[in-house]
Amino acid sequence: MNWLKRRVRPEQIRELSLLVLILAAIVFFGSFIDNYYSFRTFNRIASSVAIITVVAVGQTLVVLTRNIDLSVGSIVGFTAYFVGTLIASHNGINPILAVAIAIALGAALGVVNGVIVAWGKVPAVVVTLGTLAIYRGVLVDLSGAKTVTTDSLPQWLIDLPLVNVAPIGSLDIRALFMLALVIVVAFQIGTTYLSFARRFYAIGSNPEAAQLIGLPIKSVVFLAFVICGALSGLAGFMLLARFGNITVEAGRGLELSVVAAVVVGGVNVFGGSGTVTGAMLGAVMIGTLEQSLFRLGISEFWLDAVLGLLILLAVASDAVILQRLRQLWGGAELKLLAKETDSVSSEQSASPP
Amino acid sequence: MSAVGTLKSWEAMMLALLVAIIAFNSVGSPYFLSVGNFVNLFQLSIEKSIVALTMALVIIGGEIDLSVASVMGLAACVMAWTFHAGVPMPAAILAALGAGILAGLNNAFWIARVGLPSLAVTLAGLIGYRGVARILLEDRAIGGFPDWFNTIGQQALIGPLTAAIAIFFVLFIFFAIVLHGSAFGRLVYVVGSNAQAARYSGVRVGLVKAALFVGSAFVAALAGILYAARLGSVRGDMAEGFELDVITAVLLGGVSIFGGKGNLVGVGLALLVILNLRNGMGLADITGNTQNYVIGGLLILSVLIPNMWQELTNKWRGRET
Amino acid sequence: MTRFLMGAAALAVLAALPQCALAQDAMATRGKAVSMVLLPKFLGILPFDQAHKGAEEAAKELQNPTPLQFLGPTPQNSVAGQIEIVTNATTQGVKAIMISNNSGDQIVPAAKAAQAKGIKVVTWDSPIPSSEGEDVFVAQVDFSEIGKVMADMTLDLAGPGGGKFAILSASPDAANQNAWIAAMKTALKDPKYAKLDLVDTVYGNDESEKSYTQAQALVDKYPDLKVIMSPTSVGIVAGAKALQDEKLCDKVKISGLGLPSEMLAYTKNGCAPEFALWSFIDLGYLAYYTTYLLAADALKAEEGAKFKAGRMGEYTITKDPTRAKGLRILMGPFTIYNKDNVEAAAK
Repeated sequence: MNWLKRRVRPEQIRELSLLVLILAAIVFFGSFIDNYYSFRTFNRIASSVAIITVVAVGQTLVVLTRNIDLSVGSIVGFTAYFVGTLIASHNGINPILAVAIAIALGAALGVVNGVIVAWGKVPAVVVTLGTLAIYRGVLVDLSGAKTVTTDSLPQWLIDLPLVNVAPIGSLDIRALFMLALVIVVAFQIGTTYLSFARRFYAIGSNPEAAQLIGLPIKSVVFLAFVICGALSGLAGFMLLARFGNITVEAGRGLELSVVAAVVVGGVNVFGGSGTVTGAMLGAVMIGTLEQSLFRLGISEFWLDAVLGLLILLAVASDAVILQRLRQLWGGAELKLLAKETDSVSSEQSASPP
Repeated sequence: MSAVGTLKSWEAMMLALLVAIIAFNSVGSPYFLSVGNFVNLFQLSIEKSIVALTMALVIIGGEIDLSVASVMGLAACVMAWTFHAGVPMPAAILAALGAGILAGLNNAFWIARVGLPSLAVTLAGLIGYRGVARILLEDRAIGGFPDWFNTIGQQALIGPLTAAIAIFFVLFIFFAIVLHGSAFGRLVYVVGSNAQAARYSGVRVGLVKAALFVGSAFVAALAGILYAARLGSVRGDMAEGFELDVITAVLLGGVSIFGGKGNLVGVGLALLVILNLRNGMGLADITGNTQNYVIGGLLILSVLIPNMWQELTNKWRGRET
Repeated sequence: MTRFLMGAAALAVLAALPQCALAQDAMATRGKAVSMVLLPKFLGILPFDQAHKGAEEAAKELQNPTPLQFLGPTPQNSVAGQIEIVTNATTQGVKAIMISNNSGDQIVPAAKAAQAKGIKVVTWDSPIPSSEGEDVFVAQVDFSEIGKVMADMTLDLAGPGGGKFAILSASPDAANQNAWIAAMKTALKDPKYAKLDLVDTVYGNDESEKSYTQAQALVDKYPDLKVIMSPTSVGIVAGAKALQDEKLCDKVKISGLGLPSEMLAYTKNGCAPEFALWSFIDLGYLAYYTTYLLAADALKAEEGAKFKAGRMGEYTITKDPTRAKGLRILMGPFTIYNKDNVEAAAK
């Protein structure tokens, strides 16, 4: 046990506690819903979280640097619509080129955000609240009320979301979910082991110190926004593939789902702590709730109230579990950790109102 | 440049912008300069303006309340539902205000007592309170409120002003005094600029935050009731999505998203800028979509241009010395 | 004898006169400068763009020198945006506003204020439920008829054995969607439809993504579902894609109201064998004609008034049987689309 305490910090078990919560939710739903433990349920949840997860990975990087990107929903809609229009008029386009265009378009929109935040010194909320409106507005104005429809798209794109990349028995691992998994794994490894990527954490947990030791804060913040934009562009392509019919409304409100996933996933909104795996688990948690509540047979009108409550409980129990773990880990370390993740722990030590 | 200087220059910028917009609108549209239009211009967004006042306090206090629009909807739905169930209107209004206070207490509990981030708690509130409003009204629209209630929302009450506009001005003065002239207001700034330091110096941070969130939800509930009175009918989607417009106005008002900075005069000027800009564009037959991104662009530029200006003058001064 | 003949002729003329006077030919009043606003629920989707096209066609025919203003709110701000546009149009003193109402009775105060300034308020596509503040409603089709057609199509697709079906609507607050669903429920009381079992109503908020997942959720929750009925053009096409992706099109069919150009593929592959719609171009055209005549004082919004609307022929203002109060002009008819006619209509 002591050995474990030395090797692992409570924050690293955070993902584990979320995983336990997800499993608890699945067991709960499974005992009330017929045929819940099925590959279909798995596919539903997997498909529904794939797109959110890809964006949430980008959002995590941004949030780690003490910023936030509220424009992701508009970037997703923008790329889905324009890449969709492009593919609809050039059906012969090379699929790889199409994906590359989507990523580049998203990255370009991310560059705008990043430049204004990093070098313009404008708070990220202000910038991305503005670009949320601007990107969507340009999309609506340029679209001429046209809709991208499935029948104008080439067959490979329509089939893409149904492609089964790793058949394990009768369990499908579909292409879009696999793509999301690959991205999560790649970014998890990158942010854990690459010294360059550790800078996201360094800057977020203590900007003053980061500046003192000469980290290129501006470039790192800029890079976080560009990556977030690029991943949102990729998510836009995934949205196009999955839903086929893309209106100028595509992706509206996605930013709130993504922020919810990141927050439930234990990424500190004040920067510096959290992982992309956590963000994915946050997305899975919310996706599981959304997909399962309806099948529980409760009325459509009750869904949001229950969902809001459960998100709150997920965040709260995560915080409580973390707190308990810290106490378990001992008082000396607690103080050290409290400094690092200022919000949760320090608020709790406050005198009750 | 001192903090005071920055604030003053911010308000000066907003004021200049406002004068420019009003001048432009007056030349651009023959319908702009009339008492009726000025009343409309306020009236059309009066509920958002009211909520912006408390949102400013919350953000200056270093937190954020994303649930305000859902609380507005919840209060309106509680009022309509209880009225529809046969309860007299005044009691229904009290019930709606009560629902607002409950929502605020709920936010305050998780944020101030348990210590969860306000972004997470109020995001859950945004989804959850809207959900409760939906449970109450489902797919119904409830109207047929007493005439006196609709009159409050729709008719001029004090001179050409409606009750809601009058309430806005009263609340503006009230919150300006609270924020800039009371001990509590000073605590809000202290907590917003450095909660840790405030706590070490004996400020009851939790209590200040709790007061902010309960106040925010209460005022949102009041705004929701006024919105219902203006429209004369209530549905489950009342005020959906208003939170972003409210936050936009507060940030344009020079309030720092990181807390501790900003004042109500700036927010008031920003509201006037947005309202006049929207009104002018509306009278010039520019659609809501275009209006949105003009205001989005303005929000960014309002911070970006002064920053770049300061950068440039700094460089220039650097060269001189 | 001649006197008698003349008298008879005079009588005949007299008898014919009122009809001439009532069936006002729009052409007689063309060329007047009438400022008009066409206000859709929101901008960015095809049906409203088509209605705009139709209205422009009518404006050209009527030689209205004042250009038509096509102003709409954003989807996320539809209610407040519509009220804002009506209020601003009132300030500008336009002559008429044509509203596809997305705000239920919440638009009433703004519409009444417009009327008080002498502005004609005509609704099209979606009326003001209480009909307060509205001069007349240009109805695409009879709302109770929509209910019957929806019930018929459901029965048709479910087969004579009937079965379970569900409704995929727009938002819970869409007044015309709710009116159509209510009309369908009334129609279902007919013993003819006794074997149809409406199990659920879900909402896709007129968003492709939400509608898609809602359709999936329905087939998960009701494994023996036969038909999804979606009276919204966004919902039906997203639902059809969901069924196709689930490879369920031989078991579950989708139907409702959709645009032929968007539904072509699904009608041909059997996911949506039949669906219905009216012409939004014609609806915009008729709404413009009606409103122009009202604003030019060539037509009164009262029961029994007749007028001729260009290429679409003669119409009469009647009481609206689907609302407690209110007047309407009934356009009609429905077109039921299937694999035989969808291709021609999609062009």
